[in-house]
Amino acid sequence: MLRRLTFVRVAVGLSLAAALAVTVMAARKPAGVLADLTSGNAQLKSAGALAFGPDGVLFVGDSIGGEVVALDTNDHAAARSAVKIDVQGVDVKIAALVGVTPDQIMINDLRVNPISKNVYLSASRGRGPDAMPLVARVSGSGDVSLLSLDNIPHSSISLTDAPASDPSARRNPRMMTITDMNYVNGNLIVAGLSNEEWSSALRSIPFPFKAAKEGATLQIWHASHGQYETQSPVRTFVPYTISGQQYILAAYTCTPLVKIAVSDLQPGAKVKGVTIADLGSGNQPLDMVPYKKDGHDYILIANSSLGLLKLKADNLEGYKPIDSPTVTDVAGVPYDKLGNFKNVQQLAQLDDSDAVILTGKPGPFNLQTIALP
Amino acid sequence: MAESVSIQLQGGAFRVMGWNPPRAQPAHGWASVFAVYTGSGALPPLLGSYAIEAGALVFRPSFPLAPGVQYRAVFHPTGGGTAVEKIFDEPSPRTAPSARVEQVYPSAEVLPSNQLRLYIYFSGSMSRGEAGHRIHMLDANGKVLPGAFLPGEELWDPSFQRLTMTFDPGRIKRGLTSNEAMGPPIVEGKRYTLVIDRDWPDARGVPLVEGFRKAFRGGPAERNPPDPKQWRITAPKAGSSQALLLNFPTPMNYPLLQRMLHVSGTQGNVAGTVSIDKQETEWRLLPQQPWKTGDYQLIVDSALEDLAGNHVGQAFDIDVFQHVTEHIATKTISLPFVVR
Repeated sequence: MLRRLTFVRVAVGLSLAAALAVTVMAARKPAGVLADLTSGNAQLKSAGALAFGPDGVLFVGDSIGGEVVALDTNDHAAARSAVKIDVQGVDVKIAALVGVTPDQIMINDLRVNPISKNVYLSASRGRGPDAMPLVARVSGSGDVSLLSLDNIPHSSISLTDAPASDPSARRNPRMMTITDMNYVNGNLIVAGLSNEEWSSALRSIPFPFKAAKEGATLQIWHASHGQYETQSPVRTFVPYTISGQQYILAAYTCTPLVKIAVSDLQPGAKVKGVTIADLGSGNQPLDMVPYKKDGHDYILIANSSLGLLKLKADNLEGYKPIDSPTVTDVAGVPYDKLGNFKNVQQLAQLDDSDAVILTGKPGPFNLQTIALP
Repeated sequence: MAESVSIQLQGGAFRVMGWNPPRAQPAHGWASVFAVYTGSGALPPLLGSYAIEAGALVFRPSFPLAPGVQYRAVFHPTGGGTAVEKIFDEPSPRTAPSARVEQVYPSAEVLPSNQLRLYIYFSGSMSRGEAGHRIHMLDANGKVLPGAFLPGEELWDPSFQRLTMTFDPGRIKRGLTSNEAMGPPIVEGKRYTLVIDRDWPDARGVPLVEGFRKAFRGGPAERNPPDPKQWRITAPKAGSSQALLLNFPTPMNYPLLQRMLHVSGTQGNVAGTVSIDKQETEWRLLPQQPWKTGDYQLIVDSALEDLAGNHVGQAFDIDVFQHVTEHIATKTISLPFVVR
């Protein structure tokens, strides 16, 4: 398919853009992880889950292509001041750039470049199997542009690990949909759901990606009431530090929110999360942002049916692993529902005091900065 | 000058005819002279590239023009003067509905109350982002039962012809708040109808030929992992091209049956065609070559699941607490049989 995009800036903000460009060049450093990326055409078949790594590297989950691609966004200049984003109809603007009606744009994920504070969106142009992947960038001034996927320094790693269920089929019908990714301590941790079997592994992949090593796969288990345990896929997760130890907070598809020590994520390990909250039925945590405010720890959670939830997360270290059948794990960390945000589809941390949310359903979708509550 | 200028669309490229472009592009780029917009709103212009071809300024969009979409090309003469604007309507192809729901698995009319997944097979590629409001589960009175399925990501195959729907595992797994407050999505003894709306657009945006309904009844929960000792192999006769039959006491997961079983003989794997019958309780292998006398193994991947997500040797929710010390091992189970 023809995909020759130039990085075209949209709308106003020329002076800011120029200032940004100068700083980008000054800050450009090809050493480190960027040295392992190769320039060329990033052959994405889809653009789903996003995560930022070091030096402005953006990981893009390509579920249809069965791989993760690391892109050098060439966006390494630190934001100079607090960023306030308010873009109404960001899907409408992306649609205009690529020549379709807004209903043909599906926004799949949202992340903020921790260095530049520019917002990145993954999206699809079209809704069918031949939809084209898009990675859009929204600057602090609200400019919407597309990241060119041609001639971009990149590297990729395949996640394909199963034989074709029907070798005569045009494509292997088995697919792992990447639901979330995060870069933690030199590893990209990838969560996914299989469209065939239930039990899906969490993967931990060292970055830079080495030769065809796919990294450690882990079985993630969840126990309830110390009596029943399930090999349960992780839907969304976020890195989190508790008392100096690195954890991930993960939400399973069967709703509990758990903590898992990153030190437990060893190759081949069978890992069990420690439940810290059960958000109840008929909902799915979509994204999580941990933060500190006024000396307390909180986790802001975007939820498929409950909007935004603010979880009080003090003393999470006090939640002990379940190690006997008699211990109950329904811990009930208290949370508040924040009623003033409706139809939150995506949530990402901007800085210590702000987050970015994408709202709207069915559309148009609006991108805005909110103060962490 | 501007009066003689016209804009043409040829082969997906927009051309400014009747205007002699300067050799170098203007200070603010060619886009300041000529741009193409999607629709009529005050929106950013189409992404694309400019070139001078045969003395004419040409704009090539980065993405192919989409059917049924209106594009507005605007030329601003460099020396001022009236802008030239032309609207291009990309034809909307007249398309008749052609996609339909071919089958839903499990195909049985009784589903265990801890049924984990449904696989919906369409005859054509479908549009993503619709499942949440196009698939409904009704009770015996036709009332819609909300919250039966896990919201969130739609799990398609790469051709968007098979959709995997997961019943809310929080309601299935024993001991969770959802399970205790709402109970399982399917209750033993009750009747249900799965309804798929005709309005679901296929990948071209055209609705289905017709809607789909599947009636089923809740059966007892399936808590025991599949036990290969209870499976029955019917070996074919030597020299024949009969199918090898494997029968299960309860239905198994349809897509997994297609890839998690194979047959190995002394000459290596037996090539053939797999088919699944009798409401997913029978797996058949029709060999490419007639069977030879000898010892064979039916190799089973222990990840093979039944309808409730129990897999060989391991229930979906294990009700005996065990310390987590095991490591992943790719496990297969061999079931021997003899062809005579």
